[in-house]
Order: sequence, then C-alpha cells, then structure tokens
Amino acid sequence: MQKYVMRRLLLAVPVLLLSSLIVFSLMRVMPGDALIALMGESGNVGQKELAKLRKDLGLDRPYYEQYLLWLWQMVSLNPGDSIFTNEPIPVSLKKAIPVTVELATLAMIIGIAIAVPVGVLSATRQDKPSDYVGRVVAVSGLSIPDFWLGTLVITFAAIWVHWIPPIGYVSLWDSPWRNLQQFLLPAAVLGFRLSAATMRMTRSTVLETLREDYVRTAWAKGLAGRIVVYKHALKNALIPVVTIIGGQLGVLLAGTVVVEQIFALPGMGRLTVEAILYRDYPVVQTNVMLVAATLVTLNLLVDLTYAWLDPRIRYQ
Amino acid sequence: MGATRTRKSRRDVTRRDFLKRAGWTGAGMTALIAGAGRGHASAQPAGAYPEWIAASTKPAKRGGTLTRASAWDPPMIDPRLTQSVGLYQFAGLTSNRLVRYAFSDEATGPSDMSLKGDLAESWQSDATNRVWTFKLRQGVKWQNVAPLNGRELTAADVKYCFEAYAKEGVQTFTFQEVEGMETPDKHTLRVHLKTPNTLFPQNLAEPIALIFSKEVLEEDGDLKKRLIGTGPYIMKEHTRKVRVVLQRNPDYFDKGRPYIDEYIILSTPDDATRVAAFRTGQSDVIWRASVSDAEAIRKSNPAVLVQSFHNTLAPFGLALAQDRPPYNDVRVRRAISMAIDRQKQVDTVFEGHGIPGWGVPYIYYQDKAPTLKELGPWVQYRPDEAKKLMAEAGQGKGFEATLFYYEYFPQMSSQVQLVQQDLKKNLNIDIKIQKLDYTTYYGRYVDSKWDGMSWGFQSGHAIGLDERTYQYMHSKSPKNFFRVNDPTIDDLTTKLRRTPDRGEQRAITKKIVDREFDQVLRMWMPYDNGFLVFQPQMRNVAAAALRRTDGYGSPTLARAWMDK
Repeated sequence: MQKYVMRRLLLAVPVLLLSSLIVFSLMRVMPGDALIALMGESGNVGQKELAKLRKDLGLDRPYYEQYLLWLWQMVSLNPGDSIFTNEPIPVSLKKAIPVTVELATLAMIIGIAIAVPVGVLSATRQDKPSDYVGRVVAVSGLSIPDFWLGTLVITFAAIWVHWIPPIGYVSLWDSPWRNLQQFLLPAAVLGFRLSAATMRMTRSTVLETLREDYVRTAWAKGLAGRIVVYKHALKNALIPVVTIIGGQLGVLLAGTVVVEQIFALPGMGRLTVEAILYRDYPVVQTNVMLVAATLVTLNLLVDLTYAWLDPRIRYQ
Repeated sequence: MGATRTRKSRRDVTRRDFLKRAGWTGAGMTALIAGAGRGHASAQPAGAYPEWIAASTKPAKRGGTLTRASAWDPPMIDPRLTQSVGLYQFAGLTSNRLVRYAFSDEATGPSDMSLKGDLAESWQSDATNRVWTFKLRQGVKWQNVAPLNGRELTAADVKYCFEAYAKEGVQTFTFQEVEGMETPDKHTLRVHLKTPNTLFPQNLAEPIALIFSKEVLEEDGDLKKRLIGTGPYIMKEHTRKVRVVLQRNPDYFDKGRPYIDEYIILSTPDDATRVAAFRTGQSDVIWRASVSDAEAIRKSNPAVLVQSFHNTLAPFGLALAQDRPPYNDVRVRRAISMAIDRQKQVDTVFEGHGIPGWGVPYIYYQDKAPTLKELGPWVQYRPDEAKKLMAEAGQGKGFEATLFYYEYFPQMSSQVQLVQQDLKKNLNIDIKIQKLDYTTYYGRYVDSKWDGMSWGFQSGHAIGLDERTYQYMHSKSPKNFFRVNDPTIDDLTTKLRRTPDRGEQRAITKKIVDREFDQVLRMWMPYDNGFLVFQPQMRNVAAAALRRTDGYGSPTLARAWMDK
C-alpha cells in the first residue's frame, strides 16, 4: 500500500510540471498584461512608467527565466505577490480557500444526500412513477447549467419569498447561522448538479447488483428488504459511484467559479476569474497549480477508498 | 379487467406522455421566467420617470445604515494610482477636494454645475489666470485615526498632496500643469500654473482630486492599505471582494452631517443578485440600464423611487484610425457616419430613451439637449449621400475592416452589430467584429496603434469642461484616444482654457462641438444613462449630470438621509 501511494505521488510530479507549463504558456499567449489592466483603471498609460513597472516585476525577462523563477517560488512555498493588488498570494489564498472548501463540502454533502437515496429508490422501483421522477431530476441536473439555475433560484427567491441569502460573506466562526444562510442556497445549486450523475450511476449499479446471485440468496433467506438493499446490495454497488464522485470533483470546483460569482462569495473561483481578467499571472498560476494538486490528491484518495469498500482490492 | 386498466393508467407513464408533460412544464417555466424578467411589452414610458428628485423639505433625520450591492470592487485604494469607479464610489466620502460641485440638496436641477467650496472657502485667480489662490476653511480636522489623530488640515497638506499627484500616477497630466506652489500662511495655498487655465478649479473638483494624508503615504510608502481623509465618513473596513464599511465621522467640519450612521458597500458582481438584493431590501440603491429593467423592479417593489439619470453625453462611439487611410479622408468619415442609422439604435436598443450621441456635455454650450437634426448633416441617416461620398473618395466598392470592442453593457453588442449591418448594407464595408475581454481591449485601444475601427470611449469620471475638451481632444493630450489631430480643435481648446467669461466659454465650446461634428473627428453612438432606483425611504440622493450617486457622484451622500 505504501509503495503504491509513493508511486502515485511520484507520478504526480510530471503531471504537476506539465500543468505548470500549460498554465504558464497560456497566460503568456493571452493578449494584454496585468500592467495594461492596472493602468487601464487610470485613463492614460505612460510608456516609461509601464516599462519601469515591467522591469520591477520581472516581466521584461525571457519567458524561460520567468518560468524557472516561478517554479522556484512555488517549490519554496513563496508564490509572491499579486501584480494587481500587491497582496501576498498566500494571504489571498488564506481568505479564499476556506470559502471554496466550505462551499464544495456542503455541495458534496447535499449532492450525495440527494443522489444515493433517490438512486436507490429509483432502482428498487424501476419504471414506476418515482423512478421517472428521479430520472427526470437527474437529467435536469445534468442539463441545467449552474449559472442559469443559480440566477433562477436567486431571482425567484427574491420575488416569491422576498428572501435571498445575506450578501457580504461572514465566516463560519464569526456567525455560524448567517454563514449557513449564505452557503445553503449556492451549495444546493452546486449539489443538485453534482447529484445528477451520481444518482444515475447509483441507480444503474444498484439495479445490476440487485440481480446478483448473492442478493437473491439474501432475499431467499428472508432478510428484510431494507437490509438486503442497503447492507448487501448498496455497499457493493458503491465502487463505481465513488469513482464518479471522484471524477466530478473537477466539475464541482469548476462550478464554484460560477456559483461564487452569482452568490457573491469571495472564494477561489472569484479570485481566479478576477486574476484571469486582469492577467494577474502569479495569482492565476498559483491557483491553477493548487487546484491541480488538489485534484491529484483527491483522485488518489478516491482510489484508496476502493480498498476500504471492497476488501478484495489490494494495491501493490 | 377494468380495475387493472385503471391501475395501470395511473402508475405507468409512457414515454409519449412524459415528453408531452415535460414539454408543457418547460413552456410554463419559460413563460414564468419571461414574466419575472424584463416585460418589455408592459414597460412604462421613460418619460414617466423624473430626471430630477428635488431635495426633501422635511427636516433631516439622523441614523440608519445605507447598504448598496455594488458591481464594482476597488482594485486598490490609492487615489494616485487609479481612476476606477470601484474606489471613487466611496473615496469621495472619506476624503474631500478643494472645491466640489453642488450636492443634490443644493443643486437647482441635474444640469447645475455650480462650484462650491469643499476644503477651500474661496478661490480666485489673478488677471492672467495663471495664479490661483485658495483660502482654506479653518478648523478642518483629519479623521481621528492614527497617525493623523484628528490634527488640523493645513495648506501644506494640500501642497504635499498636489506634488505627489504630479510626481506619479494617473493625475500627472492635471498636476504637472502646476509650475509651483506657495503657502503664505496656514490656510492659504497659491498655485502657479505653467499656462493660463480658467478651468483649473473645475479640474480640482473632479471626483478623483482627493486630498490624502501625508503621514500615511510617508509611513506606508503608498496609500494601498489606509484611506484617511477629512471627509464625512471614516473607512472602517475594506475586505476585497466582500465589503467596504464606512462609519460617520463625528468630527466632520460640516457640523450635524452626515445624517446616515453607516454606509456599507457589498461587492456583488452578478446583476441578477444585485436586483434580488434590492428587491429584498438588502440594497438601497440600484442602477438599471433600461426602462424595462427599471419597470421590472417597480412591478415587485411598487413604492421605489426611480430617477431617469440625465443624459448629457455619450461616452462611447465608433473610433476610426483617422491618422491613416482611408479614414484620414474626411469624406470617408462623413460617409460612414451618414450610413449609420442612429435613430434605429435609439428606438430598438435603448427602447426610445437614448440620446443620438455627442461627446462634449451639452450643458456647457446650450440649455437643451440637442436633437438628432441639430447635430448636423453628417449624423443624419442618408445612405444614398453616403454612397456618393464614398465613390468620390475612391472607396465606392467598399473595403474590409476590423472592429474591436469590449462589452461594457449588453446593449453595446447590439449596437456594434447594427453598425456592422448598416455599413455592409449601405457602403459594402465588410466588418469583422472582435469582442475582447477588458484587458485586451483596453491595452489595444489606448496603445493607439490599432488599424481599422474600435468602439472607443471617453472616461466616465470626468465632469469638468477642460477634461471633456482639451484633455480628450487636443492632439498633444495623452487622453486623446480618438486620435484627433485637428489644428482648429487645438486652437479652440487652448483658447477655451484662457477664457474666463462663462458666455464666451459657451460660444467656444459650441464651436469645438460644431467642428467635431463637421469633420467627424469622433463618431458618437447612441447611449442611455439609464435609471437609478432608490428604496422609498431614501432622501436627497438624486444624481446630478455627470455624477451618479452610486458612482463618482457619491460625495452627495453626505447630505442623504433615511425617512423611516
């Protein structure tokens, strides 16, 4: 097991290097730069002033030098400062990460809480109205984009119930109740989308498992339906479900970008979008690398979960 | 058998049934969303909304918290380095200028451009209009926050500040005009200009010309962390992408003011969320782009106050690379201008509420907004004349061009497409549209090396005549983004700076505008300033021309109060 984990971690190095190269190149290929954006706020651009700023920030150096310098900064855990705001990047991340983690965690909980029971219900009542409802919900979740659902939810909440989550982020520690109000709706929007694919996968795998011999044996032994379904069938049906949840983490993080924008949450998504718009190279590069590292780690964790779910799986 | 059939029909849903029901549900949802949205058909005519909300005659009440969901987040809070509305939506409340324009409770209407003393009590120039003397108010204190701790403001503070503006940043152009300054006493500042400028006080009344503190700049090396001024509000919190909190300054020199205890600006990038926040009372002010947008809010919140924000100029227009062929030929510029149906844009894109477009605020040269007809022959939609002129210029077969733009607001894309359609249909000019993100657009536009066409702009913050004429049109000005290079305009804008008489100023300004339209130096496109919607309890919040209450005109909130 340890060897497997080590091997996976070593494999992560080229993946991260490749990601760093891609994001670095993409940022340089994009027209415009942070200084233009910065001076864009000013109404006039002095070429001398721009050249001086560029030199101060090391943007006049050859690309390979800039890349190596940035890699070194990342390895030494000092990604530098934002070009646009001058704020040290770790400070920005310290503020943004908890927001996104909270949103993603809540969305994941909501998504799974919807997906698994509905998926099981759908499977156990195949082709019954409840199955159709479950499938319609799943297809809707897959087809409705987050930005549309988010806008719809906030608009109709304001018109019909005259309430929307309080704007102006408050941390969980400062005011848990207000924080929960702020996160519930965006997490539900994200969770709904996340639940769709999971729900469909749960339905399929539970249906398949319910036709297995050992399940028939369990029924024949006279076990209660709840025990047959949840204890015998569901656990064995969960491996593909866990895989799909793991695969959706990327979708979840992408979804936070849009949902944070709509619900005015100052998370990683908003930080990254703003940094991209203003060509804030260090911030974009650091954020993308952080997301890449998170995804690599989470995928590893998902793989390790298989062994827990199915003792027959052994990693070497 | 019958019982079985009944049971089956209740439980089993055929694919066909399902699709039918889903179809109806979808149609219903679409109708609901459309109903909750803009509702063009039922939109109230724009004329129903006043252009001015007079000051309340009731005695002002103290207290309350004003909250606003804002689209803008300050990129930084150093007034030397940015002109962003993100900063000036509140910086004019923490800090003062030497002079200012009338607040909404003092102004006679939206076009009232009279200057009032802010930190200065009085000001006058010598006979040459090169030396300006400002007498400061006595007893004005900096906010009682370290390191200022409420010390008195002196003329030396203002001198330091102007020198810093001249040294670096976005206001160098204005302050490098200053040859030298002296402070004969604690409350007198004498400014010597390099060239005569009768409009210099107006430049100091621009919302960006704030007086910041010497101590903060010297201690921090910049003004990016603290914004301490002499204004009616003290900045208590600035959390990027979350909120700005301003608290009443108890030591503000205008005793008894401000009335509102706290002003909270919530960073809310999404428009639908800002609308929802207003509808649910989480926000007290909102700007809407069109009549139907404003009307949609009035449907759910009928008691709100709506002000039709006074249209004085159009900030956007079709910019041509007029320093190179074919656009350096005035016939081509005139032909392009005549081939564009501006009235169609006003009627369709702006729902009949827009202006046909001009660049210099009309209030500086006439009393009433010009009509399309008054803007001269080259602005009229005359495609046949346009074709003839193009042929005369040797461009009868048309040509290909690129037009790049950044979508400042959704209607702009429709305008760009209408222009593309008009020019193709009438002059066979084949335009390739490039929609860019802000950074790319801005970088390319201000670089002034682009070819073809762009959807150009003039800055949103400027109020003064000097900024709108000399600074945007003089061939030597760094803000001359439309690449105007016309000796007559250079002469007139310079002459304007040397003319103290108001009547003569108006006459010269009119000549500048006439010349601009005759030579088609900047091809303005229709525009609508939109509508400001306030919660019913808001008082003294009307936006005056060129200064929107939620934007660069925020200093007027020093006189706002809440009637509840």
